[in-house]
Amino acid sequence: MRSYSKPTLLAIGWLGLMLFFALFGWILPFKEWNYVFEDDLEMGLFSSGHILGTDSNGYDLLASIVAGTRMSIFIAVAAVGLGGLIGSVLGIFSAYVRGKVDTVMVTLFNVGLSVPNLVLALALVSVLATNVDINQAVPTWRRVMVLIISLTIILIPILGRIARGATMSWAGREFVTAARSMGMKDIKIITKHIVPNVLPALIAVAFLAVGVVIIAEASLSILGVGIPDGASWGGMIARGRNDLEYAPHTLYVPLFFLALTVISTNHLGDVVRSKLDSREAKV
Amino acid sequence: MAGSGTAHMRNTVDAVLTVRDLTVEFRTGRDKVVRAVSGLSFDVIKGETLAIVGESGCGKTTLARAVLQLPPPNSGEVVFDGTDLTTLPKENLRSARTSMQMIFQDPISSLDPRMTVQQLIDEPLEIWGRGDRAERAERINNLLNNVGLDPELVLNRRSYEFSGGQCQRISIARALALDPRMLICDEPVSALDVSIQAQILNLLQDMKDRFGLTMIFISHDLAVVKAVSNRVIVMYLGKICEVAPPETLYAKPAHHYTKALLDSVPVADPTRQRKATLLQGEPPSPMNPPTGCRFRTRCNAASAMCAEQEPQLREVAPGQFVACHHPIS
Amino acid sequence: MSSLLSVKGMNINFDTSRGLLEAVRNVDLEIPAGMSVGVVGESGSGKTVMCRAAMGLLQGSNVKRSGKVVFDGRELTAMSKSEVREQFGSGMAMIFQDPMTALNPVRRIGSQVSEGLRVRLGMSKKDALARSKELLELVRIPNAAAVLKLFPFQLSGGMRQRVMIAIAISCSPKLLFADEPTTALDVTVQAQILQLLRELREDLKMSMVLVTHDLGVVAGNTDYVAVMYAGEVVEFAETKKLFADMRMPYTEALLESIPTIDQKSGARLAVIAGRLPDPTDRGAGCSFAPRCKYAQDKCRNEHPELKQDPDGHLYRCWFPIGEAK
Repeated sequence: MRSYSKPTLLAIGWLGLMLFFALFGWILPFKEWNYVFEDDLEMGLFSSGHILGTDSNGYDLLASIVAGTRMSIFIAVAAVGLGGLIGSVLGIFSAYVRGKVDTVMVTLFNVGLSVPNLVLALALVSVLATNVDINQAVPTWRRVMVLIISLTIILIPILGRIARGATMSWAGREFVTAARSMGMKDIKIITKHIVPNVLPALIAVAFLAVGVVIIAEASLSILGVGIPDGASWGGMIARGRNDLEYAPHTLYVPLFFLALTVISTNHLGDVVRSKLDSREAKV
Repeated sequence: MAGSGTAHMRNTVDAVLTVRDLTVEFRTGRDKVVRAVSGLSFDVIKGETLAIVGESGCGKTTLARAVLQLPPPNSGEVVFDGTDLTTLPKENLRSARTSMQMIFQDPISSLDPRMTVQQLIDEPLEIWGRGDRAERAERINNLLNNVGLDPELVLNRRSYEFSGGQCQRISIARALALDPRMLICDEPVSALDVSIQAQILNLLQDMKDRFGLTMIFISHDLAVVKAVSNRVIVMYLGKICEVAPPETLYAKPAHHYTKALLDSVPVADPTRQRKATLLQGEPPSPMNPPTGCRFRTRCNAASAMCAEQEPQLREVAPGQFVACHHPIS
Repeated sequence: MSSLLSVKGMNINFDTSRGLLEAVRNVDLEIPAGMSVGVVGESGSGKTVMCRAAMGLLQGSNVKRSGKVVFDGRELTAMSKSEVREQFGSGMAMIFQDPMTALNPVRRIGSQVSEGLRVRLGMSKKDALARSKELLELVRIPNAAAVLKLFPFQLSGGMRQRVMIAIAISCSPKLLFADEPTTALDVTVQAQILQLLRELREDLKMSMVLVTHDLGVVAGNTDYVAVMYAGEVVEFAETKKLFADMRMPYTEALLESIPTIDQKSGARLAVIAGRLPDPTDRGAGCSFAPRCKYAQDKCRNEHPELKQDPDGHLYRCWFPIGEAK
């Protein structure tokens, strides 16, 4: 059995808890996140009935956090999954084929990377998720979809470039030439020799990307184009910052969850990476 | 080294591989073209080991890969077993490649680190559907025994658990899996420790004898080449300098470059040292090779003619061909 | 004869995930002043680690070391890090196998060669550059003034190695460590570099430790040879004596197994059976016993100590060649 260091175990434990919140939060006997406790406004931490207190609107913070987990993690995982899938398919393909395809792809990636992430997301969200009729509210699911799509678009060039770089280095190895000299088809070389070797590097980066996306989503919320109604951590932070003066915990509680989660994903990303490096060193 | 010319071609029906006028060029940057191999011809007769010797950048590895069409050459013919590989459709080329296998320099990087030895050797058999599962398993065991590895101990391990010498044995077993007729060995022992090199060289020799293989053996190491070859081609900057059987070549080199190479090899005997003047300078860039004879810029015997006319290969002794205007006699 | 560098009882172990890796075991070595000593061994023999440790260049939390290194009458192992650093350049210098990675790719040759001169010898920028040009000429780089302005990638491998040598000798060291200095080079360039090192050593009265796996390189370029196997020195003698009268079966087997340009073509090569020993699992007996054709029970069970012939020839073998069994 491999042994993990304490920080790693803590990170795994924390992410496990967050994942549990996201998937099964609704089973837990928490209060409803969007129920307004009119008598319990701005209660502090560890108040009776509200462990993490309530905010100035009377929402229970623990319930909000648990509900927000679902949204934040769903958005992050969906965006990273989609971006990773599309990015790595494009990256692996262009690195394997090389030539003009590769030149075009690299140019596209570079153009994508040259636009500041938040500005791009901001533009996409405000164009796609805004109703023509100002008075008509945009449905939440649509905002979520647009948010995921715009974050995915940001991630494609980042992950695509990494997939491309890793593929370049693996495709240059002699075992790929050896496979070709045995008469293996290109598509099989990609699926059997390239992908399994590129995947670990991508997974390591994907962990880091999850952290980045959670923060990006929060930043968009603060800028006013995130998920409305505080259904995500970013939304809670956006709302909480108005009460910073007299109810600071409404800001600090979601911040604490967000920070721990991002630190955990980053740490796990590093662990995966170093595991990889040590195996690489042996190769 | 101009090394154009075809005087050394034997044109016999026994030729397994005949390469004519092979040229490989790479584009690096806008107007830069690396002329890795320029108009090179040679043939390999059944059962023979042809060695190709030269320093880095002389094009020997490029040549080997061009023979396998990895990637295909820019021009020239590669006739293997009567078919010209350069004009073969992709699908036929795939199957033609199976009878020509390659052993690489870096034994570790030529094996996929994620695959077990069993999977590595099974892979070529599986691609070509050679036998059912049980037959393939038996074949794998046979191959491993042939190269001196105990199947029980190695089958389920991965390449990074093995030393360089063992990896090279695995590579050889794998190359033999499809019953190739020809083995192309690209510096197969350069990355190995000195005490392991002899093991692998003997093994290659044994496999060649046992399976009636024809071999192309590429190396920068003249001593290794002497041990294994029947015929040696000395290359410089993408051209042939000299072609001869090893006994002749090592005893009486006719090309000034061959002689310089031989004189540069350190001898493990402190009583016999430093006899010759050393070759000055380093090879010019293959992007801009000298006119005429490509070796003339470093050659002591170079004359005005060497800059103007490219020497053609001609026979100076039985079986010894040299591309030089002023061969050593 | 006084020794410039003396290594006594050196042990270097690395703590790894696979267990304790015994890289260097109980090595004693004397480098006589003005001489060139070859250290020969295969990968894992400990030759590189031993030299780095002798120079005080071995770092890392997983390294365990013991033993004494005395250089030029001063004990390096008792010095602080900064005192050891004082020795670099003017005392000891090193050249490496791969001149590409040993040179900084983003700095011009001139600034890299003159760095030591300015830091160590306190020269002005102008003087240092002028001296750098002389140094490049000393290592026979044509057109030295122009080369000063180039970057490493604009030079060939042989030229880069010459630049490395120029940097190494810039502060006139007493001892030059050359770690496989020609392994990455072509054979004609290797001959040039070896000749250059021979001449420089003579002109500058410099001692040299030449680390290599190639017995041929050792034969023509050293006065003494230490043969290493499995972290130990297994034979040490004057080069001429060693090649004329080998005592250690490993050295003999190694020499026999190397293909040479003098052997008959197509002849079967002599082989050392088996493979290199596992550095994490040093057995009880002689390290070479499992591969040795003369091995007897005693060899497998008892570890041989270094023995010395009257002429100073050292070997680590129970049944040395040339002795009645």
